[in-house]
Amino acid sequence: MTHSLHRSGSVESLRGDYVWFMYQSKGINDQNIASKAVEFIAAAEAVGSENWGDVKSGCILEIPVEDIRARVTDKSRLRGVFTRREQVVEFLEIMKEKDTGLSIVITGLLDEVLPACKEAGVTPHTVNYSLGVWGKKELLPTEDVLAVTTMCGHHQVAPNFVEKMADEVRRGRKTPEEAARELALYCPCGIFNQVRAAKLLEEQAKPQV
Amino acid sequence: MPIIVEEKCKGCRLCIPYCPLDAFQVVGKKKVAIDQERCVECYVCLRKNVCPSQAIQPTEIEGTLRNFSHFLSDPTETKATTGVPGRGTEEAKTNDVTGRTKIGQVGVAIDMGRPGTGVHMVDVEKVSMAMAAAGLEFEESTPLTEIMEDRATGKVKAEYLPAHMLSIIVEGNIPADGLPRVIQALKDVSGQIDTVFSLGLISRVDGEGNTPLLDEIERLGLPRPIRGKVNVGLGRPLVND
Repeated sequence: MTHSLHRSGSVESLRGDYVWFMYQSKGINDQNIASKAVEFIAAAEAVGSENWGDVKSGCILEIPVEDIRARVTDKSRLRGVFTRREQVVEFLEIMKEKDTGLSIVITGLLDEVLPACKEAGVTPHTVNYSLGVWGKKELLPTEDVLAVTTMCGHHQVAPNFVEKMADEVRRGRKTPEEAARELALYCPCGIFNQVRAAKLLEEQAKPQV
Repeated sequence: MPIIVEEKCKGCRLCIPYCPLDAFQVVGKKKVAIDQERCVECYVCLRKNVCPSQAIQPTEIEGTLRNFSHFLSDPTETKATTGVPGRGTEEAKTNDVTGRTKIGQVGVAIDMGRPGTGVHMVDVEKVSMAMAAAGLEFEESTPLTEIMEDRATGKVKAEYLPAHMLSIIVEGNIPADGLPRVIQALKDVSGQIDTVFSLGLISRVDGEGNTPLLDEIERLGLPRPIRGKVNVGLGRPLVND
């Protein structure tokens, strides 16, 4: 699943948007995951990951952290988001020291993620590069909507839902933060960046000049 | 599959914005129904309980095709045969321990139906056959390769061709010098499909995160990628060859 790779939006809006993943590999390092997952949860909490979760349980915006932790199994896959480069560095430093042996992936702008790896003292092994959207692009919603919907790479956040939330913000019925949080609850993985979404919705709600 | 119980539907239409593929349709003057041709069984409506009157109800998912669509469209579901959630493959994510994309190879991950348009299997087959002809060696254990009739041609078993899903990945590896053929084939086939796809190219990188692939991408007339998914090499045992 490349569900964090193809996020849309301006380069400016994509700064401050990093996705982190923990992965075990079937038949290689998929034993005794629960205790290792707890280390990831502790690191995510320590550096203030704004949203994270386990697709089987849900994200922290909906499910108490203790419940997610209690439901961790050897098949769990934890993932979440950061909004600051410093968090990426600190998270990688912690996980390098913990040496769980699980694969770790950070998705984001390469001119931010690669220097963050260097600063944390980890050595990038493989990169999956986003080469954009091909095919019948006239089927796509507007760029403003795509910038929000693509933060749930599994597309559980519908374009009409984003437009509805933008309208609620525009009418003053919801704050951008409330609307963004509501959208984030539809992404079961916990990689929807509600902080970025609030900024995007606020921008969309401004009167067009 | 989800259905709307007509007697319970109050016609409030509150459900309509939440469907990723816009399958809620107003029928008659008031009631809402689910267009089963559009519905891919993602279960967003059921999981998030979007109807205040509980008019949306699950029924048993009948048949291989609907089950296949559900597994590929609901990320909380597990496709039993691959053992990983959702549309699941592992591409770059675990390459530090699997070594599936080696030095001198390029991994290709074509997310069919993304972002958010959904995809019919007939279009997936067009792309998988184009990729096979261009020399892509398909990844072994993916939902797509499981239903291929012939991995040498990328042809999909006939009984799966009517399938409709939120997305599915065409994934594999090629020798690095085969990239021009793959890109040309993708340019050609992208005009023949009734959907979109998002393209990811995977490469091993040196300690600074560099790879000749980036220059090759530019040489082929494509924009240099600015975003990527970086495997930071902390998996063990580490594959270094």
